[in-house]
Amino acid sequence: MKSGSNLEKVLEGGHFAVTAEVGPSKGTSAKVVQRKGELLKTYCDAMNVTDNQTAIVRMSSWSGCILLREIGIDPVMQMVVRDRNRIAIQSDILGAVALGIRNVLCLSGDHQRFGNHPTTKGVYDIDSIQLVQTLKKMRDEKKFICGEDISGEVPLYIGAVETPFADPIEYRVKRLAKKVKAGADFIQTQAVFDVAKFIKWMEIVRDEGLDKQVHILAGVIPIKSVGMARYMRDNVSGISVPDDIVTRMEEAKVAKDEGVKIALEIIEQLKEMNSIHGIHIMAVAWEDIVPVIVERAGLLPRPIL
Amino acid sequence: MIVGEQKPFEEIWEMIKGFRKVLVFGCNTCVAICHAGGGKEAEILASLIRMKAVQEGIGMEVKHAAIERHCEPEFFDPMMEDVKTNDVVLSTACGVGVNFLAERIGDIPVFPGINTQFFGAVPKAGIFVELCAGCGDCILHLTGGICPVARCAKSLMNGPCGGTNKGKCEISRDVDCAWYLIVERMKKLGTIEKLYEIQPLRNWSTATYGGPRRVILEHIKDIEEQL
Amino acid sequence: MYAAKRVTYAKKLLSTVGIDPARLEMYNLSAAMGPKWAEICTGFTEKIRKLGPSPIWLAVCRQSGMKRSELK
Repeated sequence: MKSGSNLEKVLEGGHFAVTAEVGPSKGTSAKVVQRKGELLKTYCDAMNVTDNQTAIVRMSSWSGCILLREIGIDPVMQMVVRDRNRIAIQSDILGAVALGIRNVLCLSGDHQRFGNHPTTKGVYDIDSIQLVQTLKKMRDEKKFICGEDISGEVPLYIGAVETPFADPIEYRVKRLAKKVKAGADFIQTQAVFDVAKFIKWMEIVRDEGLDKQVHILAGVIPIKSVGMARYMRDNVSGISVPDDIVTRMEEAKVAKDEGVKIALEIIEQLKEMNSIHGIHIMAVAWEDIVPVIVERAGLLPRPIL
Repeated sequence: MIVGEQKPFEEIWEMIKGFRKVLVFGCNTCVAICHAGGGKEAEILASLIRMKAVQEGIGMEVKHAAIERHCEPEFFDPMMEDVKTNDVVLSTACGVGVNFLAERIGDIPVFPGINTQFFGAVPKAGIFVELCAGCGDCILHLTGGICPVARCAKSLMNGPCGGTNKGKCEISRDVDCAWYLIVERMKKLGTIEKLYEIQPLRNWSTATYGGPRRVILEHIKDIEEQL
Repeated sequence: MYAAKRVTYAKKLLSTVGIDPARLEMYNLSAAMGPKWAEICTGFTEKIRKLGPSPIWLAVCRQSGMKRSELK
């Protein structure tokens, strides 16, 4: 075991994993994260805490992760390279490990101009792939980037993300290969709506043998309204929403019910793909739908290992 | 070339309105090419300042001048006596020029008339784009001549990120995704395999983050003293 | 047309110092259009007259302490 985290045990044990996501609040109350955590606790194997998503300042990911650990959840600390240089990153990792955090997800981060402090200086000292490399070096060689020794173990389960639907599409597989080479143990993809397109991408992934080297969890976003569907189709680069899904949302009597139905259909297809080892549910501003989806997708009970 | 834009007139006026003898001092190299601070622009700006001063009832003597470059002393030297007869110099050279003049002018303040922005080129008349970040450790041979430091909004070394939208950067539809361009060019050059290797962590100490930089040429320095 | 763009730019510059951009105008005509030329001149002169003295002129008057009617 590289980290001994629950997520690692589930994936290495060959189970179909379920991870969820929690966004901290713009405040100091510990209860917000913990309330969301309690809600989703028995419905997933690990829970991501986002890191100042969309460059909007919120309680930090590492603190959110500790709050989740306090209530018995296996947290996934998301770490963007936008806000920290390599000194702060390595320092935060040492602290995270000391405080029991085992899973780390490496991301670039949304550009600072989207957030509530657009005038800030973005750091980007290292990129997300170099971050994966850094974590691997810290864990496997017990060394900092500079080559100095780290005292003590650094048990980490290293994650990265991939966007199968952003251009240049063929190159995305090569980029995934780079992340695997850098040391990624698991991948969480951007939300999948166009399953046919996703299957095609996965074929290329399989041809490169990458599905055997890393655990891929496909992203799932339940659609709450037709406005949300249209917004994702038109404005979020990297999410491909086929027109028939938008039409279904337009024609639905109860939008939320249709959204759940669509999510369940997608999950059903993802479950049948051998190369997909789990799903990552991002229920944006709709966390309480996750238990419903996990149960109706036949993914309960979650393995206790 | 260095690209900049003239500051908004209101901002310039606030800087100089308390002075009586103003020199608007232009530069005929980079800032003239981007029509921000060349001799002609300095003359127009001097005119505008005069018009404003008259309306405000302020007695201000506004002169304009321009020299070839504001980054080498030989262009300043013949002018310095005249320049020093003013209360303030509004330099419409780039930031380099403002600094350089301030160092050799003595007790007279030098104010910037331009917001200096970047190193760039002119793909089409009237359009100036940033192409180089002056990072001090050029890797353009590895990226098909397209700079990821200057042209990727996140200066990624192993891009693109997930924000690429139809070949454009997530920050704006007017900005090309540098890594999209790099991938396409390397494909065309037949060297795309170079990108399959993980680009190592960058040494940013050669960039401005490492502190103000200087280049000293041993074989040329002190030559003035020897001649 | 490049000249037209530059006139637009010049109008913008004038307005930054409080001068009504309508005081600067560009007209297109050929040397053969005599009557049209006269018409434009008269029309523009009338327009400027209606706009009154420019702020610069008023400021100069104020500074020299003379009445408008006294200055040439």
